[in-house]
Amino acid sequence: MSAGAGPASAAAAAIADEIRRILAVATGRPEMLDIPADMPLFGQAVALDSLTGTLLLREIRQRFGVDVAADDLNLDALATLGTLAAFVGERAAADTTGAG
Amino acid sequence: MTMPTVKCVVWDIDNTLLSGVYLESAAQPPAADPQMTAVLKELASRGIVHAIASRNPPAAAAYAAQATGCEFVAAECGWGRKSDAVARIAAELNIAPGTLAFVDDDPYERAEVSFALPPVLVLSPEDMADAVGWPEFSPSVITPEARRRGAMYAQRRRRLAAERSFGGSREEFLRSCGTQVSIAAAEAADVPRLHELSERTSQFNSAGAGLTEEAFRSMICATGPSALQPGPGAAARGVLTVRLRDTFGDDGLVGASVTEQGPGTWTVRLLMMSCRAMGRGVIEGLLAWLARLAAREGAEALQIPCALNDRNVPLRLALAAAGFRAAASQPAGGAGTAGGAGTAGRAVFRLDLGGPLPELPGWVSGPGEP
Repeated sequence: MSAGAGPASAAAAAIADEIRRILAVATGRPEMLDIPADMPLFGQAVALDSLTGTLLLREIRQRFGVDVAADDLNLDALATLGTLAAFVGERAAADTTGAG
Repeated sequence: MTMPTVKCVVWDIDNTLLSGVYLESAAQPPAADPQMTAVLKELASRGIVHAIASRNPPAAAAYAAQATGCEFVAAECGWGRKSDAVARIAAELNIAPGTLAFVDDDPYERAEVSFALPPVLVLSPEDMADAVGWPEFSPSVITPEARRRGAMYAQRRRRLAAERSFGGSREEFLRSCGTQVSIAAAEAADVPRLHELSERTSQFNSAGAGLTEEAFRSMICATGPSALQPGPGAAARGVLTVRLRDTFGDDGLVGASVTEQGPGTWTVRLLMMSCRAMGRGVIEGLLAWLARLAAREGAEALQIPCALNDRNVPLRLALAAAGFRAAASQPAGGAGTAGGAGTAGRAVFRLDLGGPLPELPGWVSGPGEP
C-alpha cells in the first residue's frame, strides 16, 4: 500500500499543516501552528474537547470531504496530529480514485 | 417520534416585526407591529428565543429590539441569502435547523429558506397568530431554565467574546471566569427539567431518546436523594444532576446521568447535557466524577451504551477524550443499510478503572469529593 513514500509523505505533511491551521482557529491559540506530528490531540498541550473536536471534524469534512466520525467509531484517528493527517490523506485519496 | 419543538424563531424586520420598511423612513422608522410584538412576548415566556435575519444595516436590528421591547439572541443583517443567515444563526446558537422557525412577509424569501433548509419551519406573519397554538410552539414543560433562556444566550455571547480575547488555554479561561460545575443527587423538584433536557438534547444524549417525567420520578423515588451508594448486591439506579455557573451567569441544571450500579461494572443508562454548556468542562467533569466514584466503590469498569448518529458526535469526542473505548459496535438491526456508516446503530463505550483515576478538574464539586 505504501509505495512511493516520498509524494505520500509530502501530501501527509501538507494535510498536517492544514490541520494545524484548523486547530489554531478552533482553539484560538496560534501556537498550534508549531505542534509536532506526534503530539497527542487529547493530551494536555492541545486538550481537544467536545467543542474544539467538533469544530475540527466539521472543518476536515468541509475541506477534505472526509467524515472521520462516520468511519472511526473510537475516533482513534485523533490520537495524534500525525495519525489524523494519515487517516485524512488515506480517505481523501480513496475518494478521488473512485475507491475501487 | 415526537414533534420537535421550536427553540428559536428567526424574524424578518420589514413588514414583519415593523409595520413598514425600515430604510424607507430611516429618520422616523416605522413602529413595531403590535400583533407580532404580542407573539414575540408570548413565545419568549415559553422559553423560545428570537433572532433576526434582515436585508438591512445592523442598526435596524437594534431598532427592532428597542421598538418591540424584546431581546434577540442573534442578528444577521446583510444582503446575502436569507437561508445562509438562518444557517449561521443555527450554528451560532449551536442548535439544529429543525428546531428553528423562520417568519418573513416576502413569499420569495420563504421559498428560498424552505428550499435551502427543509427542516426549518417557514411561516408568514399572518400564520403567527394561529401558530402560537401549534404543538411546535408549545413545549410540554416550561422550566425556570427555559424562561431564562434568552438571558442565558446573551450571557453566552458575552462569554464567547471574552474567551476570544483571552490569551490562554480554555482550561485557564474556565478557571478565570469562576466556572463552577456542581454535581448532586437528583431530587423530585428536578424532574420537569430532567424530562425537558432529555427531550431537547441531541448532541449530548447517550440514549438518543427522551425519558418521561414519570420515569425520572420513579427512579428518584426508588433510590432516594441520598442513595448514591448501592445496597449490597442490588443494581441501584442513581440519578445525578449537574448545575453550571460562572461570573457571566447561572445556567442552572444543564446535565444529568442515570447510572445503574451493578457488581463489577457500573452502567450509565443515560448521559445528557445541554449543548449550551458545551466547551465549559461540564461533560468532562461529570465523566471524571462518575469514574472516580465507581472506582472508589470497587467497580472495575464504567460503561456507557450509546446510540450512534450523526448528531451526537460531540458526545463521542468527550468519551474519547476521557479514555472510553467501544468494544464492538452493533449495526442497527433489521432497518436496512441505507443510512450508511455512522448514521445509526449502538455501541457500548467502556472505561477500565484499574489504572490511575482521571483527575477531577478544580471547578467540579460533588458528594464524596473535596
